[in-house]
Amino acid sequence: MKSMQRFGYPVFFVVMAGLPHLLNSRWQAVAITFLIFSVVALSQDIVLGKSGMFNMGQALFFGIGAYTTAILNAQFGWPLLATIPLAILIPAVFGVILAGPIVHLRGDYLLVTTIGFNIVFVQVVQNNLGGITGGPNGIFGLDSLSFFGVQLLSQVAVYYFAFAVLLLTLWIMHNLEGSKPGRALHYLREDQLAAESIGINTRIYKIFAFALSAGIAGLAGTVFATQYSAVSPEAFNFMQSVLFFSIVIVGGSSVPGVLIGVFVMFVLPEIFREFATWRFFIFGFAMIAAMILRPRGIWPATFGKIPRFLIKENNHGA
Amino acid sequence: MDIFLQQLANGLTIGSMFALVALGYTMVYGVMRLINFAHGDMVAASAFVGLTIYTQVMGQATSLMAVIAIFLLAALSMAVVGIILERIAYRPLRGAPRLSAVVSALGASLVIQNGIMLIWGPRMRIFPELVPQVYWDFGGVVISLIQVIILVLSLVLMISLYLFVEKTRMGAAIRASSIDQDAARLMGINVNSIIALIFIIGSSLGAVGGLFIGLYYRGITFNMGWQYGLYAFIAAIIGGIGNIPGAMLGGMLLGLFNAFIAGYVSSTWADAFTFILLIVILIVRPTGILGERVAEKV
Repeated sequence: MKSMQRFGYPVFFVVMAGLPHLLNSRWQAVAITFLIFSVVALSQDIVLGKSGMFNMGQALFFGIGAYTTAILNAQFGWPLLATIPLAILIPAVFGVILAGPIVHLRGDYLLVTTIGFNIVFVQVVQNNLGGITGGPNGIFGLDSLSFFGVQLLSQVAVYYFAFAVLLLTLWIMHNLEGSKPGRALHYLREDQLAAESIGINTRIYKIFAFALSAGIAGLAGTVFATQYSAVSPEAFNFMQSVLFFSIVIVGGSSVPGVLIGVFVMFVLPEIFREFATWRFFIFGFAMIAAMILRPRGIWPATFGKIPRFLIKENNHGA
Repeated sequence: MDIFLQQLANGLTIGSMFALVALGYTMVYGVMRLINFAHGDMVAASAFVGLTIYTQVMGQATSLMAVIAIFLLAALSMAVVGIILERIAYRPLRGAPRLSAVVSALGASLVIQNGIMLIWGPRMRIFPELVPQVYWDFGGVVISLIQVIILVLSLVLMISLYLFVEKTRMGAAIRASSIDQDAARLMGINVNSIIALIFIIGSSLGAVGGLFIGLYYRGITFNMGWQYGLYAFIAAIIGGIGNIPGAMLGGMLLGLFNAFIAGYVSSTWADAFTFILLIVILIVRPTGILGERVAEKV
């Protein structure tokens, strides 16, 4: 892990910073989506991996963020970047409101409830509640990115916007790990009863995890709306949540794990696009095989500086 | 009043299909603590298998014997798929973290769903008219022969399953395995064969459910499994997951609820209302209607 931080991250950052200049426009678009999905998957990891809550509705918060940006831009003429504060705040508030009554539920019940929130959201958006979500077609024709009046029309600009958001997310994740809430979440994932008995208010921290995760996913939603200049209900349906869920579990609950997960679950299928009809059939087998071979994910989580010999086998079971 | 009675009849029909499918979820969950996400896709696969048996094997015959044979063969093939599924996707992950098994189930669901698409194509297919179109009109309330068959056959299957689980030795072994697998093993129960048995029963009931869906709605698509599977799973949770009568009750309630929403509100909001019902029930009674309070294993 140490050597990873010293060498792996700088190499990753340099490669990612130079990447758009090596790709044609189709693969630039894939790379932008890779960055956006990485941010959402990292936010999903806060709830699912770090806190051990079975959340299968992350596309909901992603979608609320994207729709916030789209509505503010299309209806009220806000510049895209100016929508960022609300695109973070509104999903986070929804995170608190929705998670509040359900965080005490047992694993699988929580899973189904979060699926439920996601499906209700998509149906609300599709039925054009309040007449501002554009119904099944969504909202299109958003402005392009502008920075203090300078129009940034190229896809490369969107790429760097997405990259900046990913860097911000990585910074948050890094700080979270050692912080008080981060340690509390880790503890309550390992043993909720013990965490409660030493005075950790698990309910507050669980809701905190949902709010933080929702805020980050909402920000990713802004980037998504920027990339496509449009939002539509299908982009945030519950299959998308299944994807984010699988990314975290297949990759493993660690930053490299999540990034590998996004690569395996999103970029690889894009590469094999020509096998259109076969790819998800094979992909399903690959998911099964990945779990059988690496039940804790490709790059599992490590936590803190506990010497290896003190770690019991199985203590990272979710 | 007409709308009420009509939706009552429709709701009971849909509800018994939900209940049949929900039984597969609840039995697997009861013993393995696993949401078998592939179950809904097996239900869809059953409808397609039924279609192929009808056209290829039965030569499009719709005699009573042929229809019974279609049901039996479809249930048999899904039982085989169920056993294979358990062997490949779930058994190797029994000691692994819970979420790995969930992802494996999602993978299996993708495999079956796309397998259907590869074999039968992505377009909607029309399920054969196995049952003659007979309708009875009771003063404005129309009930079809298909509805009666679905309701009666589902009830018969559910009651036999209930008696099997409650009254036979094998049923006792299933109940024992769902309470405590290790203790059951110590008592000489072969838990592996119990799990295989559960997949056989669950998949065959799901297969019947899939044929009913084909008969009732006519149009079948390769990805319809998710929709029905999710509803059935919600039914299982509403009734109390792991609880067999609970799945039946939950299925019926959800069917009625859906029919009344479609009748009195609007079918475009059916999903949203269903999930709101689920969330309310989970908040008020987190273990479902008939579920017992079980502590999460630490």
